[in-house]
Amino acid sequence: MESIIFFILAFFLLSGAIMIVFSKESLYSAIGFLMVMIAMAGMFALLHHSFLFLAQILVGVGAVVVLSIMIILSINLKEENQPKQNITRKNILFTTLIIAPIAGLLLYAIAKAPFAFAPIAQHFGTIETMGKVLFTHWVLPFEIVSILLLGAMVGAIVLSRRRLHVES
Amino acid sequence: MIELSHYLVVSGILFSIGVVGVLRRKNLLMLFFATEIMLNAANIAFAAVSSYYGDLSGQMFAFFIIAVAASEVAVGLGLLIVLYKKQGTLDLDDLAVMKG
Repeated sequence: MESIIFFILAFFLLSGAIMIVFSKESLYSAIGFLMVMIAMAGMFALLHHSFLFLAQILVGVGAVVVLSIMIILSINLKEENQPKQNITRKNILFTTLIIAPIAGLLLYAIAKAPFAFAPIAQHFGTIETMGKVLFTHWVLPFEIVSILLLGAMVGAIVLSRRRLHVES
Repeated sequence: MIELSHYLVVSGILFSIGVVGVLRRKNLLMLFFATEIMLNAANIAFAAVSSYYGDLSGQMFAFFIIAVAASEVAVGLGLLIVLYKKQGTLDLDDLAVMKG
């Protein structure tokens, strides 16, 4: 049962990623991005990481994907403004040649290692345990991330509100 | 039975697809999506290794990656809107303002 769910999730993950990379329309890529994010949340749920599952649904799906779809819809990319994607056979071959050694090395290193999951402790990765560790051992990174998020928020607001002086 | 290596293989394939996207796409928006895929691939690996060792540090890293990715997307898309208003294109080859 667990392996069936895993393979379904992996299928959605990889097909969504392929959809992002290879589709011509921006909105289709955004839908692929949504698939990747939801399948990621499913992976976290399969690993019994309820905190990461919630964070992924709230932040990943709820904020990032919705924001990017809104941007795509609002700037209304016209067909003639889309960059020309000259997909020649030479380009594909060249990219594959670059990627194949990296992917091969990754897969080789992973496949050689004998792994298995130990039985997971009962209260592992729940919100309570994560909160306890977050506010004891990881307080400083947590505060730094909150400052980073504040800076990002201010930056995004300033960038999108500024009136542009177009030189003419 | 699903083992750690399954998760790591999925993560590796996902990361490679992300690298292909970064190298191949000329649209700035697609570049954001491809980098997000790569960050998510790292997240899967962190979460799986965290379960394998029974250590919460991996999940903490994944959590911080989620937060940093969200802030990156917010600022990046703000910049993208400004750029699109100014230049009317998202082609990465046209982004040569800083070229010396």
